[in-house]
Amino acid sequence: MPAGRPRSLRAQIAASRKALRAATEPPAAEAPRKPRRPRVQRASTRAQTNEPPLERLRGWFRAKGWTPYPFQEEAWAAHARGESGLIHVPTGAGKTYAAYLGPLADVAAHGQPGLQLLYVTPLRAVSRDVEKALREPLTVLDADLAVESRTGDTSSSVRQRQRERLPQVLITTPESLCVLLTHERAPELFASLRSVIVDEWHELLGSKRGSQLELALARLRHFAPGLRTWALSATLANLEEAARHAVGTGQTPTIVSAALERPIVVETLLPESVDAFPWAGHLGFSMLARVGAWLDAERSTLIFTNTRSQAERWFEGLRFARPEWAHLIALHHGSIEREERERVESGLKEGSLRIVVCTSSLDLGVDFGPVERVVQVGSPKGIGRTMQRAGRSAHRPGATCHILFVPTHALELVEMAAAKDALRRREVEARTPPGKPLDVLAQHLVTCALGGGFTPDALRDEVRTAAAFAGLTDEEFAWTLSLVREGSPTLRAYPEFRRVVEHEGRCVVADARVARMHRLNIGTITSDAVVQLRYWSGGRLGSVEESYVSRLKPGDTFIFAGKKLEFSRLQDMTAYVRPAKTKVTRTPRWGGSRLPLSGSLAAAVRRTLDTARHGDVTSDELAAAWPVLDAQARLSRIPAADILLAETCQTRDGHHLFLYPFEGRLVHEGLAALLALRLTRLRKATFTLSVNDYGLELLTPTPFPFEEALHPALFTRERLEADVLESVNVGELSKRQFRDIARIAGLVLPGLPGARKSSRQVQASASLLHDVFIQYDPDNLLLVQARREVLEQQFEEGRLERTLERLQAAPLELIHVRRPTPLGFPLVVERISASLSSESLLERVERLKERWTREDARSA
Amino acid sequence: MDSRRCQVRIEGTLLELLPERALYWPDAGTLAVADLHWGKTESFQQHGIPLPTGVLEDDLARLSAALTTTGARRLLLLGDLIHSRQGLTPAVVERLAEWRESHASVECVLVRGNHDRHVKTLPDRWRLDVRESSIDEGPFHFAHHPEPVSGRYVWAGHIHPMVRLGGRSDTLRLPCFQVGRGVGVLPAFSAFTGGINVSRRAGDRIFAVAGPAVVEV
Repeated sequence: MPAGRPRSLRAQIAASRKALRAATEPPAAEAPRKPRRPRVQRASTRAQTNEPPLERLRGWFRAKGWTPYPFQEEAWAAHARGESGLIHVPTGAGKTYAAYLGPLADVAAHGQPGLQLLYVTPLRAVSRDVEKALREPLTVLDADLAVESRTGDTSSSVRQRQRERLPQVLITTPESLCVLLTHERAPELFASLRSVIVDEWHELLGSKRGSQLELALARLRHFAPGLRTWALSATLANLEEAARHAVGTGQTPTIVSAALERPIVVETLLPESVDAFPWAGHLGFSMLARVGAWLDAERSTLIFTNTRSQAERWFEGLRFARPEWAHLIALHHGSIEREERERVESGLKEGSLRIVVCTSSLDLGVDFGPVERVVQVGSPKGIGRTMQRAGRSAHRPGATCHILFVPTHALELVEMAAAKDALRRREVEARTPPGKPLDVLAQHLVTCALGGGFTPDALRDEVRTAAAFAGLTDEEFAWTLSLVREGSPTLRAYPEFRRVVEHEGRCVVADARVARMHRLNIGTITSDAVVQLRYWSGGRLGSVEESYVSRLKPGDTFIFAGKKLEFSRLQDMTAYVRPAKTKVTRTPRWGGSRLPLSGSLAAAVRRTLDTARHGDVTSDELAAAWPVLDAQARLSRIPAADILLAETCQTRDGHHLFLYPFEGRLVHEGLAALLALRLTRLRKATFTLSVNDYGLELLTPTPFPFEEALHPALFTRERLEADVLESVNVGELSKRQFRDIARIAGLVLPGLPGARKSSRQVQASASLLHDVFIQYDPDNLLLVQARREVLEQQFEEGRLERTLERLQAAPLELIHVRRPTPLGFPLVVERISASLSSESLLERVERLKERWTREDARSA
Repeated sequence: MDSRRCQVRIEGTLLELLPERALYWPDAGTLAVADLHWGKTESFQQHGIPLPTGVLEDDLARLSAALTTTGARRLLLLGDLIHSRQGLTPAVVERLAEWRESHASVECVLVRGNHDRHVKTLPDRWRLDVRESSIDEGPFHFAHHPEPVSGRYVWAGHIHPMVRLGGRSDTLRLPCFQVGRGVGVLPAFSAFTGGINVSRRAGDRIFAVAGPAVVEV
């Protein structure tokens, strides 16, 4: 607290509590106090016209009945001293104003035209609420400041006006910021910028969106030297790293934290009988009736699901279970049309909607003051995520958060018991930034070439000030530059290639078509081509992946946005539908990988199972899961924390090996490929791999001596990287990774409406491109990057290596089982089609063709 | 006959399916290929997409090999010889003229495909005998689009047929010849092409191109 404000500690705390409770409520909730506000404001403006802006903003703060928290004062002071850094406080503690009022006061004091303050948020849907919150304090400032948003949803007329002249305060997303950076007048547009605020930095940090923003921030610091950067973040295990990546390597970040963690109360809705509870699956419909009974229309509730199709099914199911609440229940996910999502959000705030089924679409942003309870259907897969979602309830500082876990299958009960344990210990995950992704750099280079051009040496130094690219070598920069300039780093230059060209010593883009294409494709969020869903009668519903629509025949029915629809035709990237009259059973399946179990939670699961193995039933969840665990114990064993459980089994499908390291899907993917490779070296075979968060399965159609092969040498860390790379090359992993890289680096043009017609002749699937590169340019750094990304994800802070170390040292418990056990069964059910083979192509064809013919004969 | 090839007898005429993704008609000394997509890589490069060159060279080498090992006197190109107008860069035109020169004694006939319509006239130096829609010869009707014609057996391309082998666990996807009752479809000749999975209709025979050999599946 600053000196000169003598108050008792107790009074301070009471005042701060009150202030923050108010600070986090949405403006709508302020209504009852409204009559008082003008009076106070008049008083403050009249009495303090010569006060410095920050003092006036403090006055505005007080006039609202709030007193600044120490961390807020600290953040304002640090900004005033010219520092940059990171503000770390839990959601709902008033961090927006902690970050904003300092820079705003600075802007008011130096009132100049042009862009002064940039507010970057990961979610474009949030910006309207942010806009409201950021405009509010302007009332006490004399300066005539404009606060506007610019996102993918901004109308073209507004964007056109903004291109001419930007507002003083601009709210935008990382992608829209990058599009602005392609403006040829970008150096002028950003020269006046004084501060940048990055909201929800923890959401961006661990992804390529974060790397892209780091590069954009480095560019902004170049245009506006002295720029201050403040990032806002929820709890992370690696706060210092997060801060460094936000401010760049040129300065030391200041970290402002407040210990304001809210207590979290977790309950699990237990199934009545686990016998009738599925061993696998993820929909959790058997719990629907119980959730329906638990819900209370008087208490506003968010129901989080892990996938969009799951949200659709639960929405449908709840409306069926509680028809009397039809008008109180709503659905919210990322594919639903924006207007509809906004309607749901405001309905929730006003209280006209009481129960909203949603996905991660409501993880962030908007303050939902009235939300009282949060339900999580299925495992939350991580501790940070659980805290974030739980924090959605009773969104007030200090208030207790409530979250109800709803398991979808028996083993999830174990995950939930483990999650409760890990939450108690506050084992929050780290978010690790990707290491110098060259695809993102390639995109950035074209952006910079468009936005005023660059000289290679200067840009290389600038790029290195972004922490994610601090280790970029001269060769890597030169390679990436030549990728966008000559098209190839090899001596075989492509004479027809011209994306970035050199003009009077500067790298620029000369071709208007290249410029247009680049602006359309900016961003690092990769997804399959999407098509718009529309009614014949007009009216947009949202979007679905093209690959889903392409499987539909006219007359097919499906559920979307809670509506039963009949597909009639696909035209110009729009799928036309009409309300369905017949029974509907299908739900669109959207692409996008399911979240893997986090490291923290995986360790907690191993701990929890270990106690169960010793017969200790330490929680209600374990007690409920007991019949399944008992079956596992009878058929095989419950895995111990320090022993590796392996099961072999023979079925109609072939010969199975199951291993249960409990390290999460990604690590298992790498491990499965590695083990398959090493096994095929011992003996010629083809393995089909299957993984989930608990373990992995190797399946081979011919007998294989697993007992002999499972020697500690199989888990050796020697030649680990080479072996993983080899297995990754043989398998499908790097192909999948390459798809995203190809898209970000501009090798694949997504099917955008408008762009589609002109680019039809240059459409090729990423997997085809991958094959072409493998054959004709195997050293291409984008391929190298695809492999490295696979490694990084599998290694995940060396997780694969540590896993091998653990497995090699662990005694092996090998059990031959007559049929898949409760742990093995889900792996059999969810088998993915990745295989690894040491047979020759012709041998495989000979073996497979028989099967094909057989199945064909059956179906005929 | 070479064991890497497969033979089929259609309308009493013997034909060979080559792992080079070509069809050979020994009695007529005629080799047929479809969907070569010359200059596809270069089309991509023109759009600012940095693809490595090399596909064209490999495709030409394979085509030369098929001509040499069969000793064919005629080459039928069943459409989509070129990918797009932009792909016909001076270097590509020159390289193909050179290749054509090395097989100067072979008669080359092109049946235009949909992609070929992007260009009004092909370079003279390629010395192609261009037909607008199809050629009838012996019991056969050679075309680009695989549509049945009464009285003749149709050989065509266009759809880039692929066959998916295996079941739920282990799968492979390979280019293939789809030899039906009235229509036979050739695999796309170029290695830089995707394709669609064929489903077997009654009476169809499917021949997969499995690396160095053609295998009936």
